[in-house]
Amino acid sequence: MSAVKRVQQWATFARTWHIFDCKWQDPYESAGVIKKYLMGLHKPIYHPMNDCGDVVVCINSREIALRGDDWRQRAYFHHTGYPGGASWTLAWELHSKDPTMIIKKAVYRALKGNLQRRHTMERLLIYPGETIPDDVKQNITNQIRQIRFVPTRLDHIPEEEVQKYPKVMEYPEDYVLK
Amino acid sequence: MSNSNLFLKSGFVRAPLQNGVGRYVCQLQRIVLKFCKSHGGSRGLRDYIEQDLVDFASNNPSVVVYLKPRRHRSPVVVAEYLNGDRVWMSMHNKTHSEITKWIEVLRTQQGDVSATRLRKYQYTDYPSVQGPWTPFTYKDPKLNVAELPDPEFGANNRLPMSATEQLKIMFEKKQLEIKPKEE
Repeated sequence: MSAVKRVQQWATFARTWHIFDCKWQDPYESAGVIKKYLMGLHKPIYHPMNDCGDVVVCINSREIALRGDDWRQRAYFHHTGYPGGASWTLAWELHSKDPTMIIKKAVYRALKGNLQRRHTMERLLIYPGETIPDDVKQNITNQIRQIRFVPTRLDHIPEEEVQKYPKVMEYPEDYVLK
Repeated sequence: MSNSNLFLKSGFVRAPLQNGVGRYVCQLQRIVLKFCKSHGGSRGLRDYIEQDLVDFASNNPSVVVYLKPRRHRSPVVVAEYLNGDRVWMSMHNKTHSEITKWIEVLRTQQGDVSATRLRKYQYTDYPSVQGPWTPFTYKDPKLNVAELPDPEFGANNRLPMSATEQLKIMFEKKQLEIKPKEE
């Protein structure tokens, strides 16, 4: 193999690092998207027998949004292996103990249950907040688009833009706001 | 690919030394026909030897043909190839026409083909005209200088326009219409 071909091979099979912002995202919906990148399904060179999966870095996992009443309804099962070792943890409880766990379990569930699953999961990095270690951040070259729209809070919009926003009418001078 | 194929040698479709381009070299080197003179299981092979073997040998002078009669053992054909492969094939109870076809297979194949799992069913010296794909092909060049994470690249940009945005655009249009009239 010539030097050019060798470099071409490295370029084609290079592991890309993607970042995904979990803020306001449904973990079970986004797990389907993250899974594609972890397994390399988004690449034209994909084949189940070649190692072309990418690394996905999830940030803001503390800010995920579950559907409906899931924070109170969804239970996560764990068994220690001993008699009477079964336990059911509610989603809000699990999330308060470890804010990365729900997204991790969602991706784990989305992957197919074969021998590759544990190795694929090794390529998923989850951080509860915005901060990422520098050695991780310097590798990131792509961002995965979110699924849901993330609205901006009114007090986070700059004052000028709020003033410029079109109004139907002005409140009278003597109007008392509740 | 199933579990039974895990230890099968894997390879690609290929011809040794561009065989068949310009000249053809028969890859079959030696063929040994083992049979019994009395048992019924060798009937087909005996028929083949009687009727077709001399023609086969004269048509393929590069192939060494051996006959090995052995008492009360089932018939077998062993083919040896230029690349060192050895194919053993039982001819027990096979008819004359079946054996003719199998020997033709052994003559024309280029080695122990059935012992390799083909990774791809096609081969080309030029896999891509436009250049092989890399993770950076078709990527937005803006990503090269972007500081990620950035909502410009991360936010969903395929959502339909909201009523608020539509109203805002209508308002801006109105403002533009009003301004020229004032001038």
